[in-house]
Amino acid sequence: MKLDDRTYRDAARAASEARFARAVAACLSESADRLAPDVAERLRFGREKALELARHSRGEAVGVTASGAAIAGLGKSPWWLRFASVLPLVALVAGLVMIQNWQTRTQISVAAEIDEALLGDDLPINAYRDPGFAEFLKAPPSE
Amino acid sequence: MATEKELSDFLKSVEKRAWKRAVYAVRDEDAALDIVQDTMIRLAEKYADRPPAELPLLFQRILSNATMDWFRRQKVKNQVVRNFSEYEGSGDDSEFDILETLEALGGPLQSESAAESVSRAQILQTIEAEVALLPARQREAFLLRYWEELDVAETAASMGCSEGSVKTHCSRAVHALAKALKAKGITS
Repeated sequence: MKLDDRTYRDAARAASEARFARAVAACLSESADRLAPDVAERLRFGREKALELARHSRGEAVGVTASGAAIAGLGKSPWWLRFASVLPLVALVAGLVMIQNWQTRTQISVAAEIDEALLGDDLPINAYRDPGFAEFLKAPPSE
Repeated sequence: MATEKELSDFLKSVEKRAWKRAVYAVRDEDAALDIVQDTMIRLAEKYADRPPAELPLLFQRILSNATMDWFRRQKVKNQVVRNFSEYEGSGDDSEFDILETLEALGGPLQSESAAESVSRAQILQTIEAEVALLPARQREAFLLRYWEELDVAETAASMGCSEGSVKTHCSRAVHALAKALKAKGITS
């Protein structure tokens, strides 16, 4: 019972404190509304400067996002621009394929020339397998 | 994300109260203007992309930090530094009747003659003076809680203290104000 009374008293005290505080706050608001014109003007100037900076930082954020998207190829650029940006890569790959092809053809051509020379010679091809003939080829030519 | 209009409306709604609070804290109108402008710029630059609901608490925190920065700069300059430490009052306010003073604040203000208007202006001036005389932490808690209408948790977050401390500061501020106003003759 005592506890209930105390709780009730605390609640009533908190409520009266809150009412008083809100009444004081209302007076402070009324006083704040009566600011001197020069103070109000300087506050307005500060607010506008802050808003301008916010506008600027938002613009920068949008610019960064757009350039990032363009680099990643995700921007809404014209098809020909996207095609043109891919063109050097296609040219590089095509060049590498052509070089590889040319090297293969050259190797085949060299091998064919050797085969042709060997097969067209009077010397039988089995002679190259003879160790004595190999030694003869290594030996310096005699006078 | 707050639109430019929402941000503008928000700043417009808080700038006067913010300036008053800064004046109470630093006792210098020009410095208070700089603090409020700095706060608005910091909010706009760094937090303009936040939802509108988050702006009030962010603004209060930035304002508190900007005020503390001002005091630090003053300390560096070896000028007078206000004591920002905890104030422990006598605590002997339990028998004081707040409602008695409350009636004076709300009563004669409803309809005003010229004389009442002057009287009203004097009452407002007295109230402001008494609020300015409150210890810094009590005043901060009182103004955030009842003027900026933050709840206890938000006030505690803004002040960097516990919710219990906020309640204690608010209660002491209310009793100190009521007692001081009664002493100044603002009673029913």
